Amino acid sequence: MASLQDLPGARGRYAIFGRVFLYAILLLFAAYYLLPLGVMVSTSLKSAAELRSGSLISLPRDFSFEAWGFAWNKANVGVNATGLAPYFWNSVVMVVPSVLISTFMGALNGYALTKWKFPGANLLFALILFGSFIPFQLVLLPMSLTLGFLGLAGTTAGLVLVHVVYGLAFTTLFFRNYYTSIPDDLVKAATIDGAGFFQIFFKIMLPISTPIMVVSIIWQFTQIWNDFLFGASFSSGASAPITVALNNLVNTTTGVKQHNVDMAAAIIAALPTLIVYVLAGKYFVRGLTAGSVKG
Amino acid sequence: MATLTIKNVQKRYGTVAVLKGIDLELHDGEFLVLLGPSGCGKSTLLNMIAGLDTITDGAIEIDGRVINDIHPKDRDIAMVFQSYALYPNMSVARNIAFGLEMRGMNKPDREVAVKKVAALLQMEHLLDRKPAQLSGGQRQRVAMGRALVRDPKVFLFDEPLSNLDAKLRVDMRTEIKKLHQRLGTTIVYVTHDQIEAMTLATRIAIMKEGVVQQFAPPQEVYEQPANIYVASFIGSPAMNFIPAQIVSEADRIGVRIEGAQGASVLPLPAPSAAVLKKVGHDVILGVRPETIARYQHGTNLPPNFARFSAQVSVTEPTGADTLTYLALGGRDAIARVPPKEAPNAGEVAEFTVDMARACLFDPKTEQRVG
Ligand SMILES: Nc1ncnc2c1ncn2[C@@H]1O[C@H](COP(=O)(O)OP(=O)(O)OP(=O)(O)O)[C@@H](O)[C@H]1O
Ligand SMILES: [Mg+2]
Repeated sequence: MASLQDLPGARGRYAIFGRVFLYAILLLFAAYYLLPLGVMVSTSLKSAAELRSGSLISLPRDFSFEAWGFAWNKANVGVNATGLAPYFWNSVVMVVPSVLISTFMGALNGYALTKWKFPGANLLFALILFGSFIPFQLVLLPMSLTLGFLGLAGTTAGLVLVHVVYGLAFTTLFFRNYYTSIPDDLVKAATIDGAGFFQIFFKIMLPISTPIMVVSIIWQFTQIWNDFLFGASFSSGASAPITVALNNLVNTTTGVKQHNVDMAAAIIAALPTLIVYVLAGKYFVRGLTAGSVKG
Repeated sequence: MATLTIKNVQKRYGTVAVLKGIDLELHDGEFLVLLGPSGCGKSTLLNMIAGLDTITDGAIEIDGRVINDIHPKDRDIAMVFQSYALYPNMSVARNIAFGLEMRGMNKPDREVAVKKVAALLQMEHLLDRKPAQLSGGQRQRVAMGRALVRDPKVFLFDEPLSNLDAKLRVDMRTEIKKLHQRLGTTIVYVTHDQIEAMTLATRIAIMKEGVVQQFAPPQEVYEQPANIYVASFIGSPAMNFIPAQIVSEADRIGVRIEGAQGASVLPLPAPSAAVLKKVGHDVILGVRPETIARYQHGTNLPPNFARFSAQVSVTEPTGADTLTYLALGGRDAIARVPPKEAPNAGEVAEFTVDMARACLFDPKTEQRVG
């Protein structure tokens, strides 16, 4: 279809005025949201000396990455001057398996719930879905008891388990809704062709799940990377994820307050999720709206 | 190649009876068409033959072996779905070979089998494409190829042509018929298109609300429908149903209908015993549109032809024939007459009807009489 503004009579004076107004409002909102980020970036690029002399919103005179380097591997995090680097890798080691396992299990759940309907499948799904409405705070205590019982308290494996369990509600929801739009005939045809439960899953369902898989991965990645509460509660000292380390860095009481380092550290902590959105955001929107597969 | 026997098969979902005791018996190489309106249980029956659904009661046998408890993959059947159900992530070649792959056939053998089927269906040039890159007709062909490659005992088709446009549907219909003549495999084919049923079937089973109304060769279903339901389902335009009465007049038995100039009696050429018993009773006279013709003055009518006059209300030329609407027995009846002989609307004209090809139905039970 032709775009709306190309329709005959759509370029009158009022229409143009309306457009200008619309764009002005949009620009205003964009600026409003971008301003804090702008201030953060600009502050992080100032040197310590410049920080003391200039105002908060003035632009840096000469760009210096000194604060970034300091935040990465010299700053005091808690008691040790390690910078964020080790904690960044802690997060990576925790996030990657959590995301992959919870996405894979969500896909398996969604497949079983839609294509191998068993009595009570809908009730089970409702219960799983209920999990996504339970606030984090509510599960802290039982979860910590469970981890202690399993001998996983204070370990990265323990955190992975927590995130997988908590994420399952969401990933199951994603995949179940996606798979309901896939015709059952596909599974019937494969059954007659001689494929079993897992063969159908791996050879047919998973390969056509790319859009929803992207959604699930982005969602889980941002949730788990940005999580602070579980990280603060279930990790100890050197195994803490970056969000906890950032908090410790900013709250360090020794020495002078270095705003440029704080800002740089905050950006470093947020960068992976930003990058994921920039690279895959397009697929995220597409995956959320994706319907059935053309076959 | 195989025989297929369906014995008193029933299916209930909870308390809803979808199939109420189906009995069908297919010889080797038969082409059975299950015909019926939407929701009558055709797909349910097909799914149960395939093993995709369990049977509540009864038995299904292939080659005399009961297959009720046998997994679909071990029944030696292949199915073509209405939606085609091609695997979107696989190439055409892999789609066709998937069943062989799952059965552990090695790659070189699979490739040979795929080539053979592709040649049979003339789609060698499509083998590397994905289903999304195919037209509707091509997808249909791939779905058939996937079934053919396994060389099963029984083919099951669930409305395989209903997603195609009219022209393609006719072409594919002919192709399926040729394929059947060539391979001679036993086929069960579901459709709600009566033309498909007539052209393809060696026998048709007409279903209504989970009950088979008639199970017979197409011509028999057309000429001797078991009841009013079957008679009205097959044939286009549909059979005319005219309220009438069986009367005995002089030494003849006939049916009396109300025409334009009072009642006329149409003699029955060879009334059966069942008809003789009905003398004096009301019946429904069933007449196919092509058995009504214009009366040519001065011609001698064969004994099985009856003459009557009726008022013409509308004429509809279709090119080959002109459909002529007559007021008969208080209803509109349709006659299919050659355009040259077509009367004018509003005129009262004389017609003949071939009573040897007419049917009589009981107005209460709606079953055919004699
Ligand atoms: N799982 C089910 N639970 C309850 N009722 C069902 C179920 N599956 C089918 N039915 C009912 O069984 C009846 C027959 O369905 P079926 O799909 O066999 O119809 P059909 O003859 O193939 O119709 P169509 O021509 O529309 O495909 C329908 O009334 C349907 O509602
Ligand atoms: Mg159906």
